[in-house]
Amino acid sequence: MNDLYRASEPVTFELNGETVTRSVPAATPLLDLLREDGQCTSVRPGCRIGRCGACNVLMDGQAMPACLIMAWQLPGRRIETVEGLGGDPDFLRVRQALVEESALQCGYCTPGFALSLVSGLRERRQGNPVDLGEAIAGNLCRCTGYGGLKRAVEKHLSPCSSTSSDGGTVSKKQISGEPE
Amino acid sequence: MSSDTPGRIVTLDADAPDGGCPSPELYRRIEGRLGYPTDLFDTPGLLQGAILRSEHAHARLLRVDTSRARTMPGVRAVVTADDVPGLNRFGIVVRDQPVFCEDRVRYEGDAIAAVAADTLAQARAALAAIEVDYEPLSLVTDATTAEQQVPLHEGGNLLTQETFHRGDPEQAFAACAVVVEHDYRTPRQMHAFMETEGGIAIPDDAVGVHFRVGCQSGHRDAEQLADILALAPGQVTVEAMATGGAFGGKDELTVQPAAGILALKTGCPVMIHLDRFESCRAGMKRHPVTVRMTTGCDADGRLLAHRVEAVLDTGAYASLGPAVLENFLDHATAPLYRIGAYSVSGRLVYTNNGVCGAFRGFGGNQATFAVESQLDALARELNLCPRELRRINLRSVDEPGSRHQPVRWTAPPVEVLRQAQASPLWSPEKGSRGRWLTGTGMAMGAQGNGLGDGLPDAGGGRISLSREGRVRVEFGFSDYGQSIGEAITHSVCEVLGCQGSDVEVMLGHSRGPDSGPTSASRSSVLVHGVLNRMLPQWMEAVRRQAAELTGYPGDDLAHGPGGVFHQGRQVLSYRELAEHGRREAMVADASQDFPVAPDQDHPVGRYLQLQIATVARVRVDRLTGRVRVTDLHHITAAGRVIYPPGYLGQIEGAAVMGLGMTLTEDMPAEDGRLRRDNLDQYLIPTFHDAPAQRVDVLDGTPENDPFPVRGVGELGIEAVAPAITAAIEAATGVRIRTLPVEPGVLLTAIHAREVVS
Repeated sequence: MNDLYRASEPVTFELNGETVTRSVPAATPLLDLLREDGQCTSVRPGCRIGRCGACNVLMDGQAMPACLIMAWQLPGRRIETVEGLGGDPDFLRVRQALVEESALQCGYCTPGFALSLVSGLRERRQGNPVDLGEAIAGNLCRCTGYGGLKRAVEKHLSPCSSTSSDGGTVSKKQISGEPE
Repeated sequence: MSSDTPGRIVTLDADAPDGGCPSPELYRRIEGRLGYPTDLFDTPGLLQGAILRSEHAHARLLRVDTSRARTMPGVRAVVTADDVPGLNRFGIVVRDQPVFCEDRVRYEGDAIAAVAADTLAQARAALAAIEVDYEPLSLVTDATTAEQQVPLHEGGNLLTQETFHRGDPEQAFAACAVVVEHDYRTPRQMHAFMETEGGIAIPDDAVGVHFRVGCQSGHRDAEQLADILALAPGQVTVEAMATGGAFGGKDELTVQPAAGILALKTGCPVMIHLDRFESCRAGMKRHPVTVRMTTGCDADGRLLAHRVEAVLDTGAYASLGPAVLENFLDHATAPLYRIGAYSVSGRLVYTNNGVCGAFRGFGGNQATFAVESQLDALARELNLCPRELRRINLRSVDEPGSRHQPVRWTAPPVEVLRQAQASPLWSPEKGSRGRWLTGTGMAMGAQGNGLGDGLPDAGGGRISLSREGRVRVEFGFSDYGQSIGEAITHSVCEVLGCQGSDVEVMLGHSRGPDSGPTSASRSSVLVHGVLNRMLPQWMEAVRRQAAELTGYPGDDLAHGPGGVFHQGRQVLSYRELAEHGRREAMVADASQDFPVAPDQDHPVGRYLQLQIATVARVRVDRLTGRVRVTDLHHITAAGRVIYPPGYLGQIEGAAVMGLGMTLTEDMPAEDGRLRRDNLDQYLIPTFHDAPAQRVDVLDGTPENDPFPVRGVGELGIEAVAPAITAAIEAATGVRIRTLPVEPGVLLTAIHAREVVS
């Protein structure tokens, strides 16, 4: 093992609005750096190969898996996790959409999905057309079958729905006896 | 319910029930504030543990030398089989799996040793320094010939075999106008919960060991762990924390034995969290099934005879395999249909192919895949519509079940079929020419609730008033995202006339009430039954206390939002009751046996039955053979819906899991090696693979039905696979009987047909 893995060096970056310095080996994944002191446990390992999105963070506003970001890449970067987005309008809109549609079950993957959606909404506000389905194509959920996520995206987060709850509701259909 | 009551049908959406507020639990989860067992890094003095897994699928263990590992930096303890304080075995049905192997390894994930160190990197470095000498033994890799191979356990490789009989099948086959015989295979599916197996063990000098883990039965795990750790049952506490998915894969013990031994050895809390590579290699899987089915009917399509010969590969250890075999066979008798005579037999064998156990569907969905495919094959032979063939043979609600046991449906099966027949998915899709072949197919499935077959199956709960004045409801069930807390809260609010914020639900603590395992779709039934028993007692006790405190007669008091009311006016809040009343007098406990058929001396099968019909529409790519499921429409008859978003999510989630099993998911074993090691090779459905889904609930249970609530955690997976393969057949003319559907195989078959025609 070389020094990338062993010798600790200070790295300074912005985490949820605060400047932080951590002394870690340069090859430490951001995933471990955020979790191991118990500070940002919403960033969760699912595969450690960048496939599942459970460890997503926003790096300079872009959703990225924290398992693939190494400590040496961090200086000067702005990292956000859901712990720091309590007042962020895009996050609040995403949160409301997920709640309205019960788009989660166990919730382990949910912060990662939320960050992918926030990243998409931010990009859209900068004038880029963004398909939010594409934005979450790299996030895996094993519980829901994506039904609630689909409804959240289509009903509450589409470009024409400006607020969180204006997406209209599917009417509850009740039929007695014979089907139509 | 009489057989001509059609019941009412409702298309589900995700709105909170009765316009209520969404559960606060959802916010906690989205904001990352729910701590999972593998998030507990703030536990003081926490060490990291890691497990050494076998390099061979089958070998004699000649030497395990941990001397160098013990001297490595940061290492606090290294443990092997010699360090297991009590019984070095575990297993829910048969205790045949070693915590740490003594002299032999039987699969690649077998545990040999474990290390606790200050950091995970140090623990892993120490694992690499453990020297192990193996003498490889010959492998048992083919389940169908396992019994002729070298025995992996005393008593040979046939763990168990079972046959269900009815009538005289040979005679019945002789009378058939048409007989179809086919072989089916289903994959070794992986649970692929997003939170892999993990948790922490905390030693406690006075008490023993406290586990905070992802698991499915705190009480049962505590019993097994006490035996392993040589502690009295009261010295082991298991807190089944809210966990990131389970689906059966956390039913058996996972990291707990190693973490517990390391915690006792070091005197420190120890976390073990398998990474995905280790989870793929060592974790439970679904039993792969190889089955031959022979089914015959008369010229009118009436089923007369059915024969099933199945082999289930349980891998190196039994786990819940024997119970899976029973449920497989139960479903292989075709519970929805009248069949005059059958012989349904299966063998459960040991191999070196990983280890298999509980998985949503529990053998039932594997059987239903084959049964429903057989019906389609008969319909084709008779040139009859597959729906018509089903209609002719479906049981009525007044008939006994396929094993001649009393059963209780919530709607007539033929009505479920009728709803499926009316699905909009049967209308042809526009523009389906050219590259894309489209087709629609359907299948039906039945599923019973509860452990079945007369197994002990009780569950209990408790209700009390917390110090802060909230209605505290405790059950032993685990929360892995199935909305059980929300369903309990909703039911309690309905009876007490209170709000969700008045109620606190506490789940999964082995010191709390024992509700039995969170499996077999049993929780909803028991929650409903137990609440019905204990809520009236508790309300009475609270009113008595309120009467003492206020002077009003108890009979004039009523429960309402936030407290107790007299003539429509709140006279005491729950908080005031908690402050001034005797809290110990405001407790009610109840438990009940899982509902089984009345007057049955030797119960077989399951009494409470559910049904589903799934209609699937697919598009098959003629260039690649890839299948895309565009729509799934489910009709469920599974009793009353308590919490609509939870019900909807269970059906949709299970269906997409079934879609994965049908199209992409398999963990193939070659020479005892599982060939996929992470989620880049083992492909579970993504957002773009998920079809549009619709769930219609058909419920004919009358108001006074004693069992109006059923568990739907497994129902959604039951009929998905045969519905998809039926749709593929409708699109291409090719029937696939080996899952997952290989695009290359399908493409070759499509081209072969095109050449012929």
